[in-house]
Amino acid sequence: MSVGFIGAGQLAHALVKGFTAAGVIATHRITASSPDTDLPTVSGLRKMGVNLTTSNKEAVKKSDVLFLAVKPHIIPFVLDEIGPDIEDRHLIVSCAAGVTISSIEKKLLQYRPAPKVMRCMTNTPVVVKEGATVYATGTHAEVEDGKLLEQLMASVGFCTEVEEDLIDAVTGLSGSGPAYAFTALDALADGGVKMGLPRRLAVRLGAQALLGAAKMLLESEQHPGQLKDNVCSPGGATIHALHVLESGGFRSLLINAVEASCIRTRELQYLADQERISPAAIKKTTLDKVLQQPGVTVSGVANGNGKSGLSLFNNRGSGLKKKN
Amino acid sequence: MDPEMDSQLKIGFIGAGNMAFGIAKGILSGNVLPANVKVSAPSSRNLGRFQELGIAVTHSNVEVVCGSDVVFVAIKPHVVPLVLNEISQHVTDRHMIVSVAAGVTLATLEELLPENSVVIRLMPNLPCLVQEGALLFARGSHAKQEDSALLRSLLHRCGLVEEGPEAWIDIHTGLSGSGVAFVYLFAEALAEGAVKMGMPSALAHSIASQTVLGAGRLLRDSGKHPAQLRSEVCTPGGTTIYGLHALEQGGVRASTMSAVESATERARELGRKSAAGSRK
Repeated sequence: MSVGFIGAGQLAHALVKGFTAAGVIATHRITASSPDTDLPTVSGLRKMGVNLTTSNKEAVKKSDVLFLAVKPHIIPFVLDEIGPDIEDRHLIVSCAAGVTISSIEKKLLQYRPAPKVMRCMTNTPVVVKEGATVYATGTHAEVEDGKLLEQLMASVGFCTEVEEDLIDAVTGLSGSGPAYAFTALDALADGGVKMGLPRRLAVRLGAQALLGAAKMLLESEQHPGQLKDNVCSPGGATIHALHVLESGGFRSLLINAVEASCIRTRELQYLADQERISPAAIKKTTLDKVLQQPGVTVSGVANGNGKSGLSLFNNRGSGLKKKN
Repeated sequence: MDPEMDSQLKIGFIGAGNMAFGIAKGILSGNVLPANVKVSAPSSRNLGRFQELGIAVTHSNVEVVCGSDVVFVAIKPHVVPLVLNEISQHVTDRHMIVSVAAGVTLATLEELLPENSVVIRLMPNLPCLVQEGALLFARGSHAKQEDSALLRSLLHRCGLVEEGPEAWIDIHTGLSGSGVAFVYLFAEALAEGAVKMGMPSALAHSIASQTVLGAGRLLRDSGKHPAQLRSEVCTPGGTTIYGLHALEQGGVRASTMSAVESATERARELGRKSAAGSRK
């Protein structure tokens, strides 16, 4: 089995690093494409032995499972470009936040009768094989395709199937989750430093505390509330600290954060579904490079509303057109 | 506890207020016979409800002490020194004196009573009145294990009875003495929320109180951690989690912790003041 990545950024790099550490696939069977060869992740991938190319089509040809690891607004360009090259064997796995299976299938149905599409939401700790991944299965993907993806992603952490409508919530929780943790750890380390610890030690201890706590919870039948109680001796240091946290609205902040991330994901999805994205939303350099690829052109930018924009999902009239 | 011993035991109450009444009711639902209970109060105002239970009443504190084995001192804290002075010479080593007076320490009580007196300090709470009290007691210097056991067996129908060091009594006051009022505040707010959303007030209050009661029973009887029970009520994306989020945003947890802290601190302060006051 060969694996391809459209996009050679943080996500591709993290997944490849995890897969190779887990030994689930050999790096020479992995191909990644990116128009931008200067990215640090690109050289990172090259060092790991991944085949790199600037041609998305080549990545498609060399893979069976194809991860779409580009920013959400790039997805439509990519799909238009690679559509004709998709074969029956291909399993397309989109990792783009807010991009629905149906929008991808709609695009690809122009090229194939039954494109096998899956959508997954993972997170950066896949790089250390402690990822949290969920996936939803598209219309034409089979049970075996789900099992295959699950096997791949389970090698780099926790993986389970969900209904697609839960993916936004997952994004808010475990997609963004590591960022919440990094923020907390930075602040905890500050607290340690304030109370006299050297920075490196403070960071190490803080991270280990959260790691240990998370592991305890995952391995315990007990409710986190009970585990918290077990740490708080009467009148002790911890309960005093917890009161401070509660007074600051710690819990509600975390709830708000998950909610905000989830809502923003939905907003982005809504924008994408509108099928009108301003060219300004696409980095000029990336757009230029994409347009340099053989077989890709853009024509006509105005629509009936007088709003100018690239129509990304509708091939008729305006938007990206295939030459010949 | 030996039921025969219980039924022989003579119980006295100095003071006829709510606490005395609640405890008396609890004691009577055990093995103690009404004929063996006596209560004293300066006025007849509160004595009627005791008489209805078949309990003998008097205006003489000394009479109660002389005729009882266990004496509950259930009077206002500032009256304690006066009353203890009055009865002190009638207190023997067969007596167990149980003080319910808030803020009056074991040290103060032992000072006011004869040496070697068996003294216990008890903090009940209002729901003793309906036999759902939370009672914490601390033993004085000369109270033994058997005295604890006796008190427990007398009080177990009043509600939850626990023993602890004296230091915990102020915390118990903050948590469960005052805590009852915190629950009433919460119940009132629940009802007001419902009224805001369009429910008539009387119905809202009635439902709010039943909600508190029902939740309380489930909490006590399930043995589960409240966090566990809370999680069990929250369906994903459902009404409860939305409501809980609003509570968290309002900082209910922190303010509740602060409430218990504040009440406890005040209990400690009052205890210090009363100890200072009773020192001659």
